[in-house]
Amino acid sequence: MNLLDIRNRWVIQIAGVEVWITETIVNTWIIMAVLIGLAVIVRFKLRKFKEVPTGFQNIIEAAVEIFDNFVVGTVGKKLSYIAPWFFAVFAFILLSALSSIVGLRAPTADWATTFALALASFVIMFVLGVKYRKGAYLKGFVDPHWIFFPMNLIGELAKPVALSFRLFGNMLSGTIILTLYYALTPKFVQFGIPAFLHAFFDVVFGGLQTYIFVIISLMYVRIAADDNW
Amino acid sequence: METLGIVISVAHIAAAIALLNGVFTTFGQARVAAQAIESMARQPEAADDIRSAMFVGLAFAETSGIYGLLIAIIMLFANPLVNRLISLIG
Repeated sequence: MNLLDIRNRWVIQIAGVEVWITETIVNTWIIMAVLIGLAVIVRFKLRKFKEVPTGFQNIIEAAVEIFDNFVVGTVGKKLSYIAPWFFAVFAFILLSALSSIVGLRAPTADWATTFALALASFVIMFVLGVKYRKGAYLKGFVDPHWIFFPMNLIGELAKPVALSFRLFGNMLSGTIILTLYYALTPKFVQFGIPAFLHAFFDVVFGGLQTYIFVIISLMYVRIAADDNW
Repeated sequence: METLGIVISVAHIAAAIALLNGVFTTFGQARVAAQAIESMARQPEAADDIRSAMFVGLAFAETSGIYGLLIAIIMLFANPLVNRLISLIG
């Protein structure tokens, strides 16, 4: 059973180093292509956008506006310029969760992907913390006394790990349950019934975990960068 | 061969024990949801804030459950000890 070891597609050599092109990477490229295509379509339609939105423009404006308000409500007006990055993360995670409906292995069911995203959130958190609170943020590492520095450091480094494991575990459990279902049941029940499993594990859990990933990243940023928190 | 059988069966038991923490995770999440619903009933006008706080709380409470799940998965599908034992046996 191929649950944890992601299938290897090609091995290419770059300057003597083996680079493995895994299923995750191929699926990530597919999702990136879809997102970039959508972005290009939106960019070309942007010229024809009218004052009063209708149809396609309405959907795009509503998505961006709802997300912007959500970010402003979570991190406040001052930090709201990080909204575009988290919108991209949101779109990517949601689309990769939905991609397992069409039979792709979700890229977020690979720890490398989720850890990369969580590490990006961590870097944003750290940089904004240093930028806005400067010494006060760094002083938080040695908070009651300098002897607590290792514990604070571990607590801080556990943030991206916990963030990535949460998304990874949820996506992987959905993938495993569906793989088991397809492997163990006879052919005649593999038609129609998995749709409910997909709806539950991919759409509901995927959407919820996407929301949770983004809101917890935003909370970390706010805790790091906001004085009055 | 017998040693390998023992290691694999112990790994399965370990996976089952690791999944037992789901009991406590579920209790914690049930508490979060119950309190959130109670406060929503008391203050319906603050329902939106409470709901988003509830989701964050649920996610934090879920972390330990996810850790247990990952340990169980590693025990079953990617157990490092089994591979080491196989290479030791040769």
